[in-house]
Amino acid sequence: MVSLTINGKVVCAEEGEMVLTVTRREGIDIPALCHHEAVEPFGACRLCLVEITKKEWNGWTNYVTACLYPVEEGLIVQTHSSKVNELRRTILDLMLARCPNSPEVRQLAADHGVTQTAYEEMPDADNCILCGLCTRVCERLGFNAISTVGRGHHKVVAAPLKEAPPDCVGCLSCAQVCPTNVIKYEDDGDQRRIWGRTFELITCKQCGKYTITREFAEALHTQRDIPLDYFDLCDECHRKELSLKMGSIVNWSREAAS
Amino acid sequence: MKSRLIVTPNLCTGCRTCELACAFAHSVNGKPGRSRIYPLPAGFPDMWTPVVCLHCDDPACAKSCLVDAITRIEETGAMELDNEKCVKCMACVAACPFGCSLHDAQHDMVVKCDLCGGDPVCAHFCPTKALEYRPAMPTKRKAVG
Repeated sequence: MVSLTINGKVVCAEEGEMVLTVTRREGIDIPALCHHEAVEPFGACRLCLVEITKKEWNGWTNYVTACLYPVEEGLIVQTHSSKVNELRRTILDLMLARCPNSPEVRQLAADHGVTQTAYEEMPDADNCILCGLCTRVCERLGFNAISTVGRGHHKVVAAPLKEAPPDCVGCLSCAQVCPTNVIKYEDDGDQRRIWGRTFELITCKQCGKYTITREFAEALHTQRDIPLDYFDLCDECHRKELSLKMGSIVNWSREAAS
Repeated sequence: MKSRLIVTPNLCTGCRTCELACAFAHSVNGKPGRSRIYPLPAGFPDMWTPVVCLHCDDPACAKSCLVDAITRIEETGAMELDNEKCVKCMACVAACPFGCSLHDAQHDMVVKCDLCGGDPVCAHFCPTKALEYRPAMPTKRKAVG
């Protein structure tokens, strides 16, 4: 256990924990767009930066991303000092220039007092902040269908050769975790379109509701040994079936007792 | 011995008190969440089954979760879903053979029974004791030989 001071309050933390984990546990609201508990911290959005210092630093301070900075004994953290807020506003200002049409970025910037970017807005902005959360989640799931391509101004999230990704299973995790809701998909009947590919959705054999894609079910079958017939019914019909099965058991035992 | 949520379907009257209790116990920002338990008709007159997660020994939900967001809590024996880790791929919703991982459309999150951390509210409210939280009776086995 180590003890550190966050905004003047002494808190305890496990060794190896990141500052952001501790501040979240303490209920301190630090903005972060690229952070997700399912994947390792990455420090892409830079919004979680905090001011750190130590007694022996003689008044010197440093600015680090809380998601990537492990806790240390005697660390003194300021999460909302005027300098931190100023730096955060600069980042949001730049983000707003890149994503002028993103409601999520606009809202977050407005919350920090930035309503208009001081920079030139990016023409044909796609609202992607290039945090790579989608690619990291895809990697974590074991599909590796998408990645960031190119460098600098040319960096984009795309599939290999910018073609339809052969390893994608259409699970929609990338679209679900995207902090700015950039990744577009379309569910049309039993068809799902994402990343330029079309997937067939499994139809519940009883009620006709669409569940997950056939490719995803097959991947779960091969990777995690889930029998394929588990995917024949939707969750609703699974529950109904369980209830009916229980009913027949109760009825059988009643008949047997009488 | 560990307590378990014991469901006795022939005592259930289908009053749906458990559903109400669960929805309020799992409210998000003051709005009731989707209930993880509710009685369904069991195919015979006046017969109901309160359908709830069975916290299986070999759980399909945890096996299907590729980010390992569903883990067993040792103290309660419950399979608990960590919503911070969940990427909403819906694998567990599709894979559970009893349909007990649910999608809460209002809050856009996947939910499942977590035994309320060791004190299930539904069992407190069940008027007919169709739901009870107590140590399970060991099954009587006939002596062999």
